[in-house]
Amino acid sequence: MLEYLFANKNVEKILMYLSLHKKANATELSRSFESALDPIQKTLKKLEEGGLLASFLEGKTRVFQWNPRYPFLKEIQNLAEKAYSFLPPNIQERYFQQKKRKRPRKSGKPL
Amino acid sequence: MSKTDLSKIALKDLACLIYETLKSNGINAILVGGACVSIYSENRYQSYDLDFVTYEELNSIEKALKNLGFKRAGRSFSHVKCPYLIDFVNPPIAIGHEPIRHFEMLSTQAGSLQLLTPTDSVKDRLASYFYWSDEQALEQALLVARSHEIDLKDLKRWAKEEGFLTQLKNFLGQLA
Repeated sequence: MLEYLFANKNVEKILMYLSLHKKANATELSRSFESALDPIQKTLKKLEEGGLLASFLEGKTRVFQWNPRYPFLKEIQNLAEKAYSFLPPNIQERYFQQKKRKRPRKSGKPL
Repeated sequence: MSKTDLSKIALKDLACLIYETLKSNGINAILVGGACVSIYSENRYQSYDLDFVTYEELNSIEKALKNLGFKRAGRSFSHVKCPYLIDFVNPPIAIGHEPIRHFEMLSTQAGSLQLLTPTDSVKDRLASYFYWSDEQALEQALLVARSHEIDLKDLKRWAKEEGFLTQLKNFLGQLA
């Protein structure tokens, strides 16, 4: 939908994913979108350089989230949310709504 | 290649050198971020990042800074002998959700420099404190506010617009 605007299909997907999940790392996005890791990492870096996203290390994983200081954040978030709401339900479920384990899991247990 | 010894250059002099070099190549840039705090606090806070904002293409900046011996990596430029990193932050020039249109112009022996006003430098640091709960940024805002006249009325208006009046009271309490 917005691919023509961003000239990059991953940008649209990442923005929609973040509008739902608030934060994400490259591996998680790559798995969700069933796509290669490298282009996702490059797109995340580009979005961070542009100021829209900010990242932190959580352990050894770089986690990306919206940059609350970005001056057009609200407008971009609104655009991403609206674009997401126009997706067919099967696409929403397949690429954006996989359930992530959020409860703790004791270290040493198999994943 | 520059004749200036970049291994011993002060932050303020380097900022002027970069600004003047860009200007002589037709590139307008504004210094923002922690380097402004270093300058306004006379190095009581020492930044090693010089963040500039410009609307010009990075390729043009690369050509201009190449003569000083700086090499580009993404949006950043470094020099083997220089301890500082020059970074070009993506425009617009904004603090929080407000565009910045008026800047300070310093004139030094090393040249001139366009940068955030002391009030905007305080806002810039407070934005990090407000949004990231960064206590270091609060300290930096206090350093600038204690050594320069700040437009408190404008600061309160801005904090209210950003939705952080309560957090501003903490800053004002420590400033008093």
